[in-house]
Amino acid sequence: MKRMKGLALMVLVVGLSVAFAAQAPATTLGTAPTSLLAQAPRLERNIKVGIVDTYSGPAAVFGTDALNGFKLALAEINKEGVLGAKIDFVTRDERFSPEIGLSMARELILQEKVDVVVGTINSATALAISSYVKDQKVPFVVWISKSEKITGAKGHRYVFSTGENTAMAGRAIAEAMARRPYVKYWLAADDYEYGHEITNSFWKFMKRAKPEVTLAGQTWWRPGEPDLVPYLTAIMGAKPDVVFFGTGGASMANVLKAVKTTGMSERIPAAIHTAIDHAVLKPLGVGAPEGVVGTIDYLWYYPDTPANRAFAKAFQDAYGGPPGFPAFHGYNTAYFIAQAFKKARSLEREKFIDALEGLSINTPVGQVEMRACDHQAVLPLFLGVTKRTPQYDFLVATSITTLRGEEVMPSCDDIKKARGQ
Amino acid sequence: MDLSVVGSQLLVGLSRAMILFIVSAGLSFVLGVLRVPNIFHGSLYMIGAFSAFSIATWLGGQSTGLWLAMLAAPVVAVAIGMIVERALLAHLYRREHLMLILFTWGVMLILNDLVKLAWGPTYRSIMPPAALQGSASLLGIALPRYNLFLLLIGPLVAVGLWLFTQRTRIGKIARAAAVDQEMVAILGINVSRVLAVAFLVGCYLAGLGGALVAPTTSITLGMDHSIIVDAFLIVTIGGLGNIWGALVGALVFGVTQSLGLLVWPQFAVVFPYLTVVIVLLLRPRGLLRSVW
Repeated sequence: MKRMKGLALMVLVVGLSVAFAAQAPATTLGTAPTSLLAQAPRLERNIKVGIVDTYSGPAAVFGTDALNGFKLALAEINKEGVLGAKIDFVTRDERFSPEIGLSMARELILQEKVDVVVGTINSATALAISSYVKDQKVPFVVWISKSEKITGAKGHRYVFSTGENTAMAGRAIAEAMARRPYVKYWLAADDYEYGHEITNSFWKFMKRAKPEVTLAGQTWWRPGEPDLVPYLTAIMGAKPDVVFFGTGGASMANVLKAVKTTGMSERIPAAIHTAIDHAVLKPLGVGAPEGVVGTIDYLWYYPDTPANRAFAKAFQDAYGGPPGFPAFHGYNTAYFIAQAFKKARSLEREKFIDALEGLSINTPVGQVEMRACDHQAVLPLFLGVTKRTPQYDFLVATSITTLRGEEVMPSCDDIKKARGQ
Repeated sequence: MDLSVVGSQLLVGLSRAMILFIVSAGLSFVLGVLRVPNIFHGSLYMIGAFSAFSIATWLGGQSTGLWLAMLAAPVVAVAIGMIVERALLAHLYRREHLMLILFTWGVMLILNDLVKLAWGPTYRSIMPPAALQGSASLLGIALPRYNLFLLLIGPLVAVGLWLFTQRTRIGKIARAAAVDQEMVAILGINVSRVLAVAFLVGCYLAGLGGALVAPTTSITLGMDHSIIVDAFLIVTIGGLGNIWGALVGALVFGVTQSLGLLVWPQFAVVFPYLTVVIVLLLRPRGLLRSVW
């Protein structure tokens, strides 16, 4: 009897809320007055996000940073709730292995029954999970890995990216380098998915932006190669005008260190995507080389706006250090998910995807749109040069210029072409 | 090709080989005397590097602190290694090799997690002491000073090891134990103590390798994996348990890598491994005499 009563009450509540929802004017809920929010449909249960990322080994620093950004956003989001529900999450450690990552995504979808899968630092894992969620029809938001294939050639309805990718970064850094006088290039990179993609993308756009450039040679090392000094001395022996490094993560620190110890920074300039990342420059302290040209999609000290300051301060207070670009992606990912569910007014995956397409959110660096045609977040890129300043005991980026996302992203037509449509 | 480029490449390769030698010599010594394939040797190397960072930072990060860190960091590795040895390993020496591999593998996983607990997932970095920063000119070849320093340290360690095994009583007993433990025991010598000392030497060399590599690279989780694979390959091509074999193996490994970079930079990664394959095809028991 009691149960019947409860059921009747629930039906009543659901019915009423649907009726109110139908009457509610079509405004975005974020800006709607509270009286309308109260009448909005309520989700029948909490939203469950499953995160697959690397939490052990050298790449753990990025996975952890992204997760911290995500948690910070959730603390804000869950205070208010998403249509009466909260966002819960579970994490799985893929240990930088696509096989493990894929089986964990499978477990999250089949056993944990998550609404959205999120991850990962490893591009190969992201691509593996992406092709799996396509069959399962489960939305997957990629938040750190930067392979342009994710939302490019191998993109599909169920995969989104909240971070910048190699197509954007390669083009941004190529256009910046094209304005400099160098002609003879050497390419040196980590021998894995990201290293190849960023280097290929850079070189493709470099040749387009400045056709007279020549390739003096190229060097590939295994990711995480501990001592890069012999690699760099060999490159210096060939005397190129400039070196482009396709590297990231812990390898990046090795590259920067070797650039300094071999004296390369005083003789041959270097360009590297994410070289101006604070997470890279901070641990190196004053041991980082000056004058390295780098690009990145997030800096906690630039742009110096109230929104960015507030985010950086909240993050600093919560985790004892400033946010890196993964934290920025993690933070935005949480807001994209929350806003999309609010807009969808439903836990249905297809409605969530429709809502996320073209959705625009407020981020610490301004409005960011999830482009509908390829599910790629339209993020600005910042270009700067490493420099030692008296006020910090680590290097920072200076002479920063901003490239808007639209300027460096492939067009929707290019994406269609890449996907063979 | 410029001859000075080849020269500098050779010297850089040799200096890289010195760190490989120091780590591999420790591994080889433990393998020879204790018959233990110590997988967590790499973890001790990583602990040496992280400790060097912590000690140097604790002492203010200046030159003196950096020098002291290089001296003190291996001691941390030794302390951890000895706890494992006395508490667990000492009771397992007579087990079969597979068991020992599994055991040391397990310790490696545990130490890995302990390092993560102690230092967190972010990577660390220290500078070389001021005197060793920048590059110096040697016979017209520019070389990072720190690499020159490594070229001096490597032979010093080799000589030290030689003196220890040939000139000290305990070193001689350790060599005897490598050949026949029972015979040594019959002579009334406390074999367990000898084995502990041998293990201590191995741990020290792992920690020293880590402390020496710290200023040249980023100190990260996972640095144990890359070194242990290389160290086992070097020990294998040098001759299992033979310290001089470790020296020869490390030189071959380091130099083929650095010179390979001049020949074919895109595929330089494969040169050391290719060399290992060739050596093992020609001399399956290693370049020098294996004590096994």
